[in-house]
Amino acid sequence: MWKFKRVSALALALALSISLTGCGGNTDSSGPGSSRSNGDATSGQSGGQPDLATASWDEIVETARGTTVTFYGWGGDENRNNWLNSDVADYVREKYDITLEVVGMNIEDILAKLAGEKEAGTESGSIDMIWINGENFYSAKENGLLYGPFTDQLPNMEAYIDLEDPETLNDFCMPIEGYEAPYAKAQLVMYHDSAVTSDPPASAQELLAFCQANPGKVTYPAPPDFTGSAFVRNIIYELCGWEQFQDMEADYDTVKAAIEPALDYLRELNPYLWNQGTTFPDASTTVDSMFADGELVMSISYAPYTVAIGIDQGTYAGTTQTFVFDNGTIGNTNYMAIAFDSPNKAGAMVVIDAILSAELQLSQYATLRELPVVTSDKLSTEEQAAFDQVDMGQGVLTQEELLSHRLPEMPADLVPVIEEIWLNEVVGQYNG
Amino acid sequence: MNRHWCLKLVLATAAACILIPVALILVWSVTARWPWPDLLPVRLTLRTVRELFLGSAQLPRLLFSSVALAVATAVLGTAVGVLTARATELYAFPGKGLVRLCGLLPLLIPGTVFAIGIHLTLLRLGLADTLAGVLLVHVTVALPYCIAIMGDVTRAVGAGLEEQAAVLGAGPLRAFWLATLPGLMPGVLSSMSMAFILSYSQYFTTLIVGGGRVRTLALVLVPYIQSGDRPLASVYAVVFVGSALLIFFLLESAIHRMERGGKSK
Repeated sequence: MWKFKRVSALALALALSISLTGCGGNTDSSGPGSSRSNGDATSGQSGGQPDLATASWDEIVETARGTTVTFYGWGGDENRNNWLNSDVADYVREKYDITLEVVGMNIEDILAKLAGEKEAGTESGSIDMIWINGENFYSAKENGLLYGPFTDQLPNMEAYIDLEDPETLNDFCMPIEGYEAPYAKAQLVMYHDSAVTSDPPASAQELLAFCQANPGKVTYPAPPDFTGSAFVRNIIYELCGWEQFQDMEADYDTVKAAIEPALDYLRELNPYLWNQGTTFPDASTTVDSMFADGELVMSISYAPYTVAIGIDQGTYAGTTQTFVFDNGTIGNTNYMAIAFDSPNKAGAMVVIDAILSAELQLSQYATLRELPVVTSDKLSTEEQAAFDQVDMGQGVLTQEELLSHRLPEMPADLVPVIEEIWLNEVVGQYNG
Repeated sequence: MNRHWCLKLVLATAAACILIPVALILVWSVTARWPWPDLLPVRLTLRTVRELFLGSAQLPRLLFSSVALAVATAVLGTAVGVLTARATELYAFPGKGLVRLCGLLPLLIPGTVFAIGIHLTLLRLGLADTLAGVLLVHVTVALPYCIAIMGDVTRAVGAGLEEQAAVLGAGPLRAFWLATLPGLMPGVLSSMSMAFILSYSQYFTTLIVGGGRVRTLALVLVPYIQSGDRPLASVYAVVFVGSALLIFFLLESAIHRMERGGKSK
């Protein structure tokens, strides 16, 4: 009996291994999950709706009615999650009978997932809309992970957005070409507690004096953290101007030669920074927490109204105050794109169009305190008045102050080069 | 006496190392601001509690899906563990070492590589973004532990009792059920607990394979930790630890009742 059992166990193991190799051999043909659409995947125009590119807006809205749209993006902002799940979801449900499903996922993971689906030859994935910008947009577009162009079909692009605005045309100096629509505007700001430090620095030179007066109590997030990387670029703008970078070649030596004064300055800053500049916090959120704990006297954010929210929530003291450099700080726009294998491109277009409406842009401005992407030239008097009435809270700068101190981003392909140079030339290094 | 005292000290230190951080998380879950060097929080907040119950995360649904997924992983993982251990411990067959190695593989491959690789495979099989796919991956992650635990127990129990039962005329299933399984029970419980907690705390694999469609508690908790929202991260951590402990408590008491019931027969 035992012998028989041994034989049957062996047979079972054999059957298992055969079925496993069977699966392995099968991988070249497309799996059952990818056979839903019959369009041509390489054109990027297919999916569930073959002639979407030529369809009229009414036809697109009709196709989208009654469907579900998934929106993938960073999920670490409770206010934004709630806003999307309530205000935006209600708006598209009432107006278009669309169900919006918001999924929190970091952009690197979203792109990794899309790249995997591309490699596996998926034609109908699970992601419809993506929250994206900058280098991520550049690489996603280069690698064919996005659907487009689609923005010229959205009525609200024409109705509310300044189509000649450089930030509508280019994302980090890279041509958008209709592959993403603006979502919200961001701008680098710094903030301090006016009860702890009196005079906030208005330039890079003043920042050096500020660090010397508060040794060990200032730092910035280590690039490639989004905010830390922008802060380093802002220092470069302070010392080297911003114009020369707009068409610079992304070559290590060219860039290094151009930013040498800024590297000098950053090394000069090091001895007065937290941990003497031998290490830097991993993320802007860490720096924010250190500031909230009183370990630092200054913090940096890409969300210009973050202080108002922090004071509201009690995270920051009521005396916290936002400031920018006199010469300006870097601003950018973040955008919404559509995945190349989105199963519901029409629905995604309708939701993106809805978010571009004056109503939802106002609600975003009032609820999340994000700079709107609609241009005031195209707003009606009532709409403009509604925007003006929004109370932005304590400790922040007005929209005019921010926009008049706004500098353009660098080309996306310079960003990783600068991050690499920073790592080689700045961390733990001192002049002389 | 002296050794007794030492032991108590070690135990107290260990308890403090676990309990103090948990207590801190409890305090942080309702703290808005707690700057250095204050001993107590400067400002408390109920924002977190409001968010937990009234926010858009839908806590009951999250808890249900996390627990259901973890229980299913525990049952399936342990079942495979029991059978694999039986094959490798009680039988001799060619390629036995290979089977053992394959059982350990998910533990040896870095998590990220494992997740991306298995995502590609599941995409081709049409199982990506489905609950079944996520369950399969969780079971795979839990398997090395289940197999190792069940391997030890199976070796200790051996085949003797089952052979005896077979000699006395019991069929193979009955012999296993009545003679071997009761002896394996302690291992089965450890293996199920281990698989449960592994599934409950999976983040990256659930995210990639589930595509964000399969939502668990860990999937909501981790972004708040990453975004530095300490109060919200803490309140979700309290729910995470609390719910896991509650499940264990219920399981334990059910087993105790079962054992007592079994003995009184």
